[in-house]
Amino acid sequence: MASASPMRQLLSAHRGVLIAAIVFVVLLAMVDLISAGPLTYFDITFLSSGGATSAIAAMGQTIVILSGGFDLSAGAVISLVNVVLARSMDPMDMEANVLLWTCAGIGIGMLTGAFNGFFIAFLRLQPIVVTLSTMFIIQGVTLLVMDKPGGAVSPSLGIFYMGDAITGWLPMPLVVIGAVLLAWCWLKNTRLGTAIYAVGSDPDAAAAVGVRVAFVRFMVYVIAGGCYGLAGVFISAQTGSGDPLVGNPLLLSMFAAVVVGGTRLGGGRGGPLGSAVGAYILMIVVNILLVLNVSAYYSTIAEGAILILAVLAGSISRQSVLARQLRMLATRFHARRAGTLVSQLRQDDRRMSLVRTSKATETRSQPPFFTRNAEILRYALPAYICFIIVVVATQVWLGGAIFNFGYWNSLVVLSCFLAILALGQGTVILTGGLDLSVPWTIGLCGIILAGMVKGSDVALLYALPTVLLLACVIGLINGLGIVFLGLSPIVMTLATNGLLQGAALLYSNGTPDGFSSPLLRWFMTGKIGIFAPVVLFMVLFVFAAVTLLGRTPFGRRVYGIGNGIRAAELSGIAVGRTLVLVYMLSALCAGLVGVLLTGFSGQASLGMGDDYLLPSIAVVVVGGALITGGRGHYLGMLGGVLLLTSLQTLLAGTTLPYATRAILFGLVVLGAVIALRDRRT
Amino acid sequence: MTFSKRLKQLAACTALAAGVIASGTAADAAEKHKVFLSMSYIGNDWQAEAANMVKAMAAHKSLADKIDLQVQVAGPNAQRQIQQINAMVQAGAKAIVVYPISPTALNQVVKNACDKGVKIFAYDGDISEPCAHNISIDQEEAGRVTAEWLVKKLDGKGDIVLITGVPGTSVDDLRTKAAKEVFAKHPDIKIVGEAVGMWSQAVARTELSKITATRNWDQINGLWMQVGCYTANSMQLEAGKTPEQLLPCAGEGSNGGRIQMLPVGTEVEGAASPYAPLGAPRISYASPPYSGALALKLAVDAIEGKDVPMRVTLPLPLVTNETVKLCNEGTWEEMKAGCNAFLPSLVSNPGWFGSIFSEQTPEIGLAAALVGQPEP
Repeated sequence: MASASPMRQLLSAHRGVLIAAIVFVVLLAMVDLISAGPLTYFDITFLSSGGATSAIAAMGQTIVILSGGFDLSAGAVISLVNVVLARSMDPMDMEANVLLWTCAGIGIGMLTGAFNGFFIAFLRLQPIVVTLSTMFIIQGVTLLVMDKPGGAVSPSLGIFYMGDAITGWLPMPLVVIGAVLLAWCWLKNTRLGTAIYAVGSDPDAAAAVGVRVAFVRFMVYVIAGGCYGLAGVFISAQTGSGDPLVGNPLLLSMFAAVVVGGTRLGGGRGGPLGSAVGAYILMIVVNILLVLNVSAYYSTIAEGAILILAVLAGSISRQSVLARQLRMLATRFHARRAGTLVSQLRQDDRRMSLVRTSKATETRSQPPFFTRNAEILRYALPAYICFIIVVVATQVWLGGAIFNFGYWNSLVVLSCFLAILALGQGTVILTGGLDLSVPWTIGLCGIILAGMVKGSDVALLYALPTVLLLACVIGLINGLGIVFLGLSPIVMTLATNGLLQGAALLYSNGTPDGFSSPLLRWFMTGKIGIFAPVVLFMVLFVFAAVTLLGRTPFGRRVYGIGNGIRAAELSGIAVGRTLVLVYMLSALCAGLVGVLLTGFSGQASLGMGDDYLLPSIAVVVVGGALITGGRGHYLGMLGGVLLLTSLQTLLAGTTLPYATRAILFGLVVLGAVIALRDRRT
Repeated sequence: MTFSKRLKQLAACTALAAGVIASGTAADAAEKHKVFLSMSYIGNDWQAEAANMVKAMAAHKSLADKIDLQVQVAGPNAQRQIQQINAMVQAGAKAIVVYPISPTALNQVVKNACDKGVKIFAYDGDISEPCAHNISIDQEEAGRVTAEWLVKKLDGKGDIVLITGVPGTSVDDLRTKAAKEVFAKHPDIKIVGEAVGMWSQAVARTELSKITATRNWDQINGLWMQVGCYTANSMQLEAGKTPEQLLPCAGEGSNGGRIQMLPVGTEVEGAASPYAPLGAPRISYASPPYSGALALKLAVDAIEGKDVPMRVTLPLPLVTNETVKLCNEGTWEEMKAGCNAFLPSLVSNPGWFGSIFSEQTPEIGLAAALVGQPEP
């Protein structure tokens, strides 16, 4: 690489962006080829306005990700700015000042960013859980501002942002994106810009050379908030009105756009230009599905496939994981033919024999329990303390909690879904990944189980293993995509989720039939003594989960990988194999939840897993796990599950309006994690 | 379509080769009107059923020769629907039938489409842009009538639990506000619990479990829910209640709920508890899933130059224990005679919506809603 020409260096530095751009141009050409007429300036105009909101928001998200952070509040901020503008602008005012209102929108975004930044940078809380809480709080505030779609913004805003910068040549949305990019180019060459990359690559090293890490982190969220604010202004101009839910669904596709654009999750590499292109790639997929007349059931499958292909195209090179895996496979093949493969050698014990001073090991006294488990306790306890506070609050506010067996029974039954998911998602997070395919793994497994069982206990005997096996296969696909194709876990599992949704629709033909068998229903809703059978099952499950993560070689390997893949590889851990197993475990847990949910509800429905994705991540982090991997204990996650479930139970028993509940929920989660913060300075 | 064009299309399709099902129907659609359906999230029972009925309508012999229907999904994302509608206009749509994700966000793109002469028909939800045709029920009426029924059933006195829909949507807001207005007039009716049900039986079950964790069924006198009565009845049976003790419930028009309304002992093929006659005290209402199919029919009328009203308010389908009646086959003729609940042996999914009958749509019956087959 040292002898590479400047041109090649430039190319390799901007590979991600270049490939994303090429993919986009190919897709655009494809739309042009298949659709009836040639692409006109008008087509370009509407394409540019269609993708602009996502593009601007994705650029903000990119800056956060570059610094090693994560921002889940982006979609909510867009909605908030939208409703504030629709509420406070005068729709009759044809001359409303565009600059003023744009600044107002950006200002609101920056304020929310400052809120995030304060907790993340100065209180050292984990970005994912802070922004998750902020997301709930902002959604609540948005509903307080406007509880249903309505209102209108001044026409001047629409005329300005939807119009042309140069009539017939340059649509305004592109100019706005260009302006953001120019601002970024300027920022990148300032000290702050360099510091963002430095903090993202290695915060400790950055701090060592004198970068004010906390300040940089704070600024990153403020800048990103400004971008979401601008996106909110743009969507207001585009729609001309307010809708409190308009921004929320943009969140997941935003991450996809960032990854498609060549930015690495975890920080340090990539840039906003790629993300903008990525957003347009995702947007043009809508047109491709239309011109190809892809049937509705296949559309999520097609999208998933396009997502994977776009990212794979970006990684094709001799250095790519796929190429490396293929080379390794070839090497293994040659070694096998030559008979030099490790497994073909004689399996003698060649370890050095250590002289055992058995006496010494016996007499060395164990440190006391609290010292040994100090770290686990510190991270796991806050969740339990908050849980107890919530239970007491329930007793005081609603009554009938602490001394009511029914309450504890319901609490465990309702917790069991998240507790099981926490094992899967938690293990994935311990390795530094994320499993976004949980919702439709739950859905598909539940639907297939109900369809096979159709109310018969006998059928359950073979349906249950079949469904759990299917879940393992889903996990295997995730794992293989991540390990052998080298795809980022977010992209792979997001795509799998789309594939599974398509599969569920095709299998059920849109209306899932069948229902759970009496045995399964009894398991979830019946009684042994005073508790449901599933409560006893959960006791065993928790015991097994703690043993799996804490006392088995598999558990040790998971922690090893989370603490550093390279170090794990060098210490002889089969990283690839373990990762595949981790994703299989996660899918197996999700499949089990699908089965139990089917038993709980009596039938399976499409979308039954949708509400479990974000909570499954939240409980893991609230329970003290580190989102970047390596730290966390299952008992802590269990505390997170109990806290969240008891809090929801408390809120459901009140008659507070939903907006207030969302805000309270966010505040309590935030409060719980403040107790978790890293006190290391 | 020239040969080279076909070749181009072929090349493009192969380039995508990723399990994408592509079909070049453009050739034979030359004489037919291009009509698009832009639907929202496809992952729930109501949406899938409504889509089936639209497809059945398009396949009926009265329309099959006139139009070429293409169905596209926008998901929950209003931005995508905007882009999708734009692309449909570009592709030469004569009419677009829309399940609007947002009543306001689509206004600009809809106006743009109208300006180009494309007819826009929104079903179930409304689009506030005046040039769009809206086909839906009166949501306020739905909230009011069901709340009044519950108040009457409870003699104006009792503790009730509310399960609402998706917060932040107009439909949920209109229904819930109208119902609360009714309850507010009766000071002895007390709302003791309120939860967000997201229009899903599964969510209704978890939310009700949370509420009953601190308050048992004996402390509740009635239920008003947008979706979930079927589930609430099942839960009461699990808690050891007999069918006679079931609480009055004002709620959705799912077939499971309708079957539960039939008197205990009614002979019903394929019934298994809780999907069985229980004599449950109920009023069942629904946003009828045929609205999309009706929208398509009206859209074709509009393309052909007939006069079509800008706003069609569908009659609110209401079924009480007095009016519930079992269908044997589910043909349109049979439903016209007044039946409104379907045998579990025909409809195995209790969450399936039963309000599929309309005077105006003799083209579609049970087979349309289940598998997308029109009436002969």
